[in-house]
Amino acid sequence: MHDDEMMDGLLRRAMASEAPALSPGFDAAVLRRARPRRLSRLGRIVMVTYSLAAATATAWLTRGLEPVVVGAGLTIGLSMLVVGSAYARQLVSRE
Amino acid sequence: MPRIEPVEPVSYDRQTDEWLAARCVEAADEEAFAEIVRRYRGPVYRLAVSVLGQAFVADAEDVAQDVLVRLHHALPSFRGNARFGTWVYRITLNQALNAKARARYRVPHVGDQALHAMRSPGVGPDERLRDEQRRQAILAGVSELPEVYQAALRLHYWLGTSVRDIADMLDVPENTVKSYLHRARRLLQGILTERGFDAR
Repeated sequence: MHDDEMMDGLLRRAMASEAPALSPGFDAAVLRRARPRRLSRLGRIVMVTYSLAAATATAWLTRGLEPVVVGAGLTIGLSMLVVGSAYARQLVSRE
Repeated sequence: MPRIEPVEPVSYDRQTDEWLAARCVEAADEEAFAEIVRRYRGPVYRLAVSVLGQAFVADAEDVAQDVLVRLHHALPSFRGNARFGTWVYRITLNQALNAKARARYRVPHVGDQALHAMRSPGVGPDERLRDEQRRQAILAGVSELPEVYQAALRLHYWLGTSVRDIADMLDVPENTVKSYLHRARRLLQGILTERGFDAR
């Protein structure tokens, strides 16, 4: 018991430095990072333009192909899109 | 997770954690999450500091931020099987242990500030040096103990956290925390004696 009390005193002295504290901007930083990110107006215009152009180009390039081949291509392409966007979201949330 | 009733106006500071969590998920209520941050920022930060220790204390604020952001994203998966606080502290412990494992690859930085924080007024330079050497030996010894003992010791002696709050954070009974502290002191005494420091 005596040794335990002595170690208790030693630890109190050894760890008697000032406890660290959070910076004043902590809450704001957390709320900013947690807020869902939305595209700006320009970003939305770019995305819509790109999607329309890509859809038009795809329709033009696959116009002579069998429907089965087009279907398979769309399935693979959409699966990759879903996986890619999920991965991108995960990266953004980790940031 | 309990369903929230449409009560207006909402007084967030009187609501339970579970209610706030449900409000965040179902109504995407930013003010409810801000209240969770206000309630848990202190304990989460202290727990992160206690795991990271003096050497990596500079990383604790980043860990606390990461925990709360991760918590926000994980709120829909909170099922209410455990207490909300227990869930938060479990995420904190895991996050802090991962951060510590990564930080160990860097050179530890026990800063000058920490070295000078121990004031010994009225004693000679030899005695001060001896005190400082012993203090450094104690801090080094603490960092060799099992993680849970380290956290308990730092929370208790450095951050002044009560045994009850430590029990809450580590999700163990209060008597277990007392036993952690007792065993940690005994192990530490052994380490100090082994290194030639008079721990008496």
